[in-house]
Amino acid sequence: MNRICTLEQAVASLEDGALIGLGGNTLNRAPMAAVREIIRQGRRGLRLVKTAGGMDIDLLCREGCVSSVDAGFISYESEFGLAQFYRRAVQRGEVIAHEHACYTVISALRAASCGVPFMPVRGLQISDLRKVNDYFAEVQDPFTGERLAAVRAIAPEVSFLHVQEADAAGNGRIRGPVYEDALLARASRRVILTAERIVGDAFFAGEAEKPQIPGFLVSHVVHCPRGAAPGCCPGEYGIDAEAIRRERGESL
Amino acid sequence: MRETVRPGDMMAVCLSRLIRNGETVFHGVSSHLPMVAVLLARHTHAPEAVHLNIPGGVNPMEPALRAFTSAGEELYEPACAAFPLMDVFDLSMRGGLDVAFLSGVQFDREGRVNASVIGDYRRPKVRLPGGAGSAVLIPTAKRAVIWRTKHDRRTFAEKVDFVTAQGHVSDIVTPLCHFTMAEGKLIVGSVHPGHTLAEVAENTGFPVQYYEERETPPPTEEELAWLRRIDPRDLRSIEFE
Repeated sequence: MNRICTLEQAVASLEDGALIGLGGNTLNRAPMAAVREIIRQGRRGLRLVKTAGGMDIDLLCREGCVSSVDAGFISYESEFGLAQFYRRAVQRGEVIAHEHACYTVISALRAASCGVPFMPVRGLQISDLRKVNDYFAEVQDPFTGERLAAVRAIAPEVSFLHVQEADAAGNGRIRGPVYEDALLARASRRVILTAERIVGDAFFAGEAEKPQIPGFLVSHVVHCPRGAAPGCCPGEYGIDAEAIRRERGESL
Repeated sequence: MRETVRPGDMMAVCLSRLIRNGETVFHGVSSHLPMVAVLLARHTHAPEAVHLNIPGGVNPMEPALRAFTSAGEELYEPACAAFPLMDVFDLSMRGGLDVAFLSGVQFDREGRVNASVIGDYRRPKVRLPGGAGSAVLIPTAKRAVIWRTKHDRRTFAEKVDFVTAQGHVSDIVTPLCHFTMAEGKLIVGSVHPGHTLAEVAENTGFPVQYYEERETPPPTEEELAWLRRIDPRDLRSIEFE
């Protein structure tokens, strides 16, 4: 099946209010081209899921596309400071911050990935996060009676992942750190893939390292050179610090 | 008068010395200081320590560190094995993670950590980045080592606004001193060269206690030489800029 289309067509399949997963980690291989197209098409009320997000979530908050964020950490890392648009949107009550431990995002995605309603988690019982958030609860081990925290499954309607290579069927191969991308693909109902390069149909058949994202989980594939810019993409390009500062509204 | 020790050097060295040989050690995002500390430990007193990180690169060899991340490909491409974040958390859950390096913005005397909000959780005065792995790692890792480059009464407070995490905080390293946990309370283990106990007490919002007045041994020539080699761009000082 040929799943190649334009970015505009792929993002047009996204509805307002959708629960969406975002691949990558902070400024590393985040699906920035998709983020810009979501903004251009004016989606509203999106509910975002990521372990550790940065510029992707910050820009979507700046443009008023977001109603909630489920994440363990939202910030640029050391060099660029805090995600100010996200922060202000939460402080003004426009965006709901559903704070997780990064592991509880992973556990919630794992639950969705294996089709169970929740996942038990250790340690979280003694955090205030457990008390104030309704996506955490306490459960009892039916075998030993031990009490544990539980996190409700999160099944994104679609996840946006950016990869270095994909074929027309949507098989996508990530070079370097995979982060939660493979898990997001399995926990979500479908994946929209953007790729630096589109390879031939038989390319991966001859490769020892197979794609982590199988095409049958993917609904759309888009050829997007520099699709993670101004963030970095391993083996392709580093960050564009000037563009990041400009988007953050810093004077250059 | 003796030469002043740079705070980034002192903190990196102090954090590094808390790692014991053979331990499994994890750091996350926005963590240049502990990242440099782990690399330093593996080059000096703890060559068998196991460096774990978010991209999943086990024991990266001479990584070319970058300012904008401590969770990127630079720790993965030169690594000796792949062990991604989910695996690191699972390891901690089953009791196999020795040291987790974490931070936050407020800490109380009992080692409770706030990295979430100032004010109300739902309508915060300040929304902070969040605790990342803290809420599950601080209670499940054998030792949670905290670093914070700010040491004032708002940071080390009588009471934290929100308890993002608590549990096994064993040490907190600041530009002024090294706090260590003793009988469930933070005490001053040592004061860094160039600073005094009075200065620590003045900048700490809870009562400062100690068993004995002790100065943190300054970085050795060997440690400083390794720091310059591991981190030639001085990213260990990035939080001081």
